[in-house]
Amino acid sequence: MAEPEYTVESKCETTEEEKSSSASSEVVIGIDIGTSQCSVAVWNGSEVELLKNTRNQPLIRFDVPVDNDIPLGEVNYHLSHKHERLSGASILNMKRLIGRVDTDRVVHASNNFPFLVQTLDMGARPFIAALVNNVWKSTTPEELLALYLAELRIMAESKLKRPIKDVVLCIPVSFSRIQLTRIERACSIAGLHVLRLMPEPAAVALQYAQQQQHMLRDNTGRVSKRIALVFNMGAGYCDVAVADIDGGVTEIKALSGSEIGGEDLLENMMRHLLPSFDKLDIKSMGSLRVAIQEAIHELSLEESVQIDVDLGNGSRLCKEVKREEFEEVNKFIFCESEILIVECMQNAHVNVEDLTDVIVVGGCSCIPKIRNLVENLCEREIYKGMNPLTAAVYGTALEGALTSGIDDPLGDVDLLTSQVTTLGIGIRANRFEFVPVIPRNTTMPVHKEMIFTTFKDNQTEALIVVYEGESEMEDENHLLGYFKITGIPPALEGVPEINVGMDINASNELSVLARVIIPGSRQPVVPVMELKMPTVDDGHSCCNEVLDRAYGPTLDSMIVRRKNDSI
Amino acid sequence: MYKTKKLCAPLSTIFRGVLPTTRRLSPYFSNSRIPSLSSHLQSSSRVPPRYALHFLPNSNFSFQNLCSQSAAKLDSSTKRCWNCVADKTGTTPFLYCDSCRSIQPVDLSIDYFQIFGLEKKYEIEVDGLEGKYKDWQKKLHPDLVHSKSEKERGYAAEQSARVIDAYRTLSKPLSRAIYILRLEGVDVDEEQTVSDPELLTEIMEIREAVEEAPDSQALNQIQSKMEEKLEESSNSFVNAYQSRNFDEAVACIQRMTYYQRASEEILKKL
Repeated sequence: MAEPEYTVESKCETTEEEKSSSASSEVVIGIDIGTSQCSVAVWNGSEVELLKNTRNQPLIRFDVPVDNDIPLGEVNYHLSHKHERLSGASILNMKRLIGRVDTDRVVHASNNFPFLVQTLDMGARPFIAALVNNVWKSTTPEELLALYLAELRIMAESKLKRPIKDVVLCIPVSFSRIQLTRIERACSIAGLHVLRLMPEPAAVALQYAQQQQHMLRDNTGRVSKRIALVFNMGAGYCDVAVADIDGGVTEIKALSGSEIGGEDLLENMMRHLLPSFDKLDIKSMGSLRVAIQEAIHELSLEESVQIDVDLGNGSRLCKEVKREEFEEVNKFIFCESEILIVECMQNAHVNVEDLTDVIVVGGCSCIPKIRNLVENLCEREIYKGMNPLTAAVYGTALEGALTSGIDDPLGDVDLLTSQVTTLGIGIRANRFEFVPVIPRNTTMPVHKEMIFTTFKDNQTEALIVVYEGESEMEDENHLLGYFKITGIPPALEGVPEINVGMDINASNELSVLARVIIPGSRQPVVPVMELKMPTVDDGHSCCNEVLDRAYGPTLDSMIVRRKNDSI
Repeated sequence: MYKTKKLCAPLSTIFRGVLPTTRRLSPYFSNSRIPSLSSHLQSSSRVPPRYALHFLPNSNFSFQNLCSQSAAKLDSSTKRCWNCVADKTGTTPFLYCDSCRSIQPVDLSIDYFQIFGLEKKYEIEVDGLEGKYKDWQKKLHPDLVHSKSEKERGYAAEQSARVIDAYRTLSKPLSRAIYILRLEGVDVDEEQTVSDPELLTEIMEIREAVEEAPDSQALNQIQSKMEEKLEESSNSFVNAYQSRNFDEAVACIQRMTYYQRASEEILKKL
């Protein structure tokens, strides 16, 4: 009996030691990187506090001016006039460009930016440059994001008077894992360690959960079940989530998202008012952008607005724009947003009657058409009591506190979130098909396995190509990585079993495992392969083609009937 | 024979032909490649299902659970906490030690019904599952053991994933039926080709009806008919299962699979 007692003591010691080390661990900050502005927040032990820059702004513009050879973040810096920001020397909208290749639709749509985005349409990284002293200086979105994040970190450190290491960021639902790794890399260059990347609407849902908990505890002490729909439309992305909040657990039921946002509204308006706008020089393009952006903002309040902008060389754009006109020009975008909401409710198996509250946040949330369409679809009024511009960062700060072991003596934050995957993950099989192993909207953590087999007789090798996405054809999805299984014993086609397992932990890290089994034997024939994904980096779409050219279908695998072994 | 086999393509294939998914945001529906693809597949003697929609959880977490499985096996008779060596108390399944609040390794001898404190039968109160599921998550979720040892964080990930699976499996009639048969040692292949001529005729009829449906009202009608059918086959499954007629039970599951898919596809089209 002496032995178990000894075990108890030693185990307890380690746990306590680890506990105390984490109790003294650093504060976790939450950052919301928006397409046009950013914000930082932190849980201070009793509430979420927004951190302001030296100009006392909680929402910080997300532009990086490139000056000579050293780009500067603009966290505290103040450019005298906004036209100066758009003179070609500032890079903006990095969030739309990060981790994308030059065949991407979103990159192509960037030709109205007042800086250079050069695309060669070959599936490689686009060339991005700022105009400094009449020279195009190249840069990358990751590099600029890292610089900017480093400035945000310094700002937070000076406010909180302590070193900051850990961070929770929120990201759009439609971001691929490739883009997530870029964000992580930018963070690590900036000296930040990413604890969690959470989908933006999930962060908003968390703030809602906390508000509800507070409110209901004050009244009855009993928190009843609520189902909320979150619609978040910013400058670059539009996301929807359905969350179920019950007994302190916020369960994300489904997510959907797309790369549409205020930038598209702006581009459509620019094209509508001046079809030849892409022939303008950088300065005039900048002026036009500012003027139309302001007009769109005014149209949220007024029925019509007068645009009058000097385009240089004596030309001028002078026009009255009506709200209906704006809505007509952008009807496709509004229609897309409706589809996202319907799709998300369907995937969550939730009807309109089930919804307790409908939350609309993000920079586009004040556009009357957006509010109308959400209200009509969901058949109820929009939830009040949330700042549409800070809801997401508030949620990230809460999540940061929750995942790091919260300092919560009053029990204010009895919360837990359960997240779902945003895109399906699977492998290529049956020639060009994408076969999802983990479908999207699967609650994490998750392990799933699926059995594949060989494509022809005596096939001794198989290529496992992992993709992420929703299309049925592999080449329309994001390539995450690939590896070859060798040493499959020669046998008739369809006999050897290739068991592909996928595992996503609570921090959304993906690993893919593969083992080869010959029916009748339980042990893998060759050592199991395990890879952390993604393994590919840049230019994943050219990588796709090269893979296909080099191997074609010779190492293909096929789906077989799923087998259920033991319970 | 070959011809019939071709006719009896997997249900999903037939249905996919009728109703392309309407996911507009990732628009893809091309017929150009599919014919060559299927002819290619059918030249082999085995006709593997083209879409094994894997919504059914896989209970076999062999990769992750190798160590905890063996650990659990050693202890399965005594059920002691690995941390404080307290014996298991009470009637709740031992996923979590109430005395020292540590998460236990996965014990595969505890089935999904036991996790939810339910008797092993098909007809269960689905409404009660969610509350229990969330109670488990509040004890087992990996976010809550951030400060604990790596070993226990591993247990948390496994246990939490298993409870999620258990919840998903038991809350839907079809997956619950498949699971309960699996506990009896009967494997159900959802993708198996349909050989029941009666069901085949019915599939064809429904397919036509869906194609020719003039408006959403007509589709709604077909959809509620599917729900009814699902209910019916679910009831006959209960009888077959109780009289341990597993062949019949499998046939019921096949019908349920079809009606459920049809109903889901119509919902998407609506």
